[in-house]
Amino acid sequence: MIELVVMILAVLGCILAIMQRDLLKAAILTGINGACVAFLFQFLLSPDVALTQAIVGAAIIPVFLGLAVYKTQRNDES
Amino acid sequence: MIDTASIMNILADTQLLSLFTSAAFIIVGLYGAIFLDNIIKKIIGIAFIEEGANLFILTLGYKQGGVIPIFLPGMNAEWFAANSAYPLPQALVLTTIVIGASVLAVMLAIAMVLYKKHGTLSASEIFGDKKIISRNKNSTSKNRGSNNFDDVGDANE
Repeated sequence: MIELVVMILAVLGCILAIMQRDLLKAAILTGINGACVAFLFQFLLSPDVALTQAIVGAAIIPVFLGLAVYKTQRNDES
Repeated sequence: MIDTASIMNILADTQLLSLFTSAAFIIVGLYGAIFLDNIIKKIIGIAFIEEGANLFILTLGYKQGGVIPIFLPGMNAEWFAANSAYPLPQALVLTTIVIGASVLAVMLAIAMVLYKKHGTLSASEIFGDKKIISRNKNSTSKNRGSNNFDDVGDANE
């Protein structure tokens, strides 16, 4: 049953990251999505992929997005 | 007729639910990559598509009620071959995650160069889509000229 909660959190973080106007919030929600997907990989019997996804998806990708937002502009003006 | 027992059976099937989750990732990512105007949002959508593809490939190797593919002492080889998850998609996905992070970094670098050259992140303004520009003219023409891009270098000026 905990797999269901993690899946719902992952899809919710995905949709909210697409819907955000503030790009920094979108980057942080992408990190939440990556962490939930890492837990889901652990429940799918693959702990090595879960370790890599936990580092890359929850730390490296939000930091890259945050750096890009810091170098450009923060608000989505469309 | 759908009763409570069949719903509980579906909710206990982790493989089917993971396939639905990967489908939701790919759908949301395609929506973001196609219909949104901001380039960073498009890049986030492409990252979601990639994550959905990873989850799909990994789900195909899952075995319900199995063990992780590590051969521990005390296991029978026949039992292990029948009950462990399939380890080949895991090795492939491990490579794909790292390549995806590098490709995302390259895409973000190209987005920063485009922002430096054009002063905006709107894809319809950069690529000159007149119809979308005229539709969004009231909202896009407010925040221009705030280009404080001072420490990246002047290669394209």
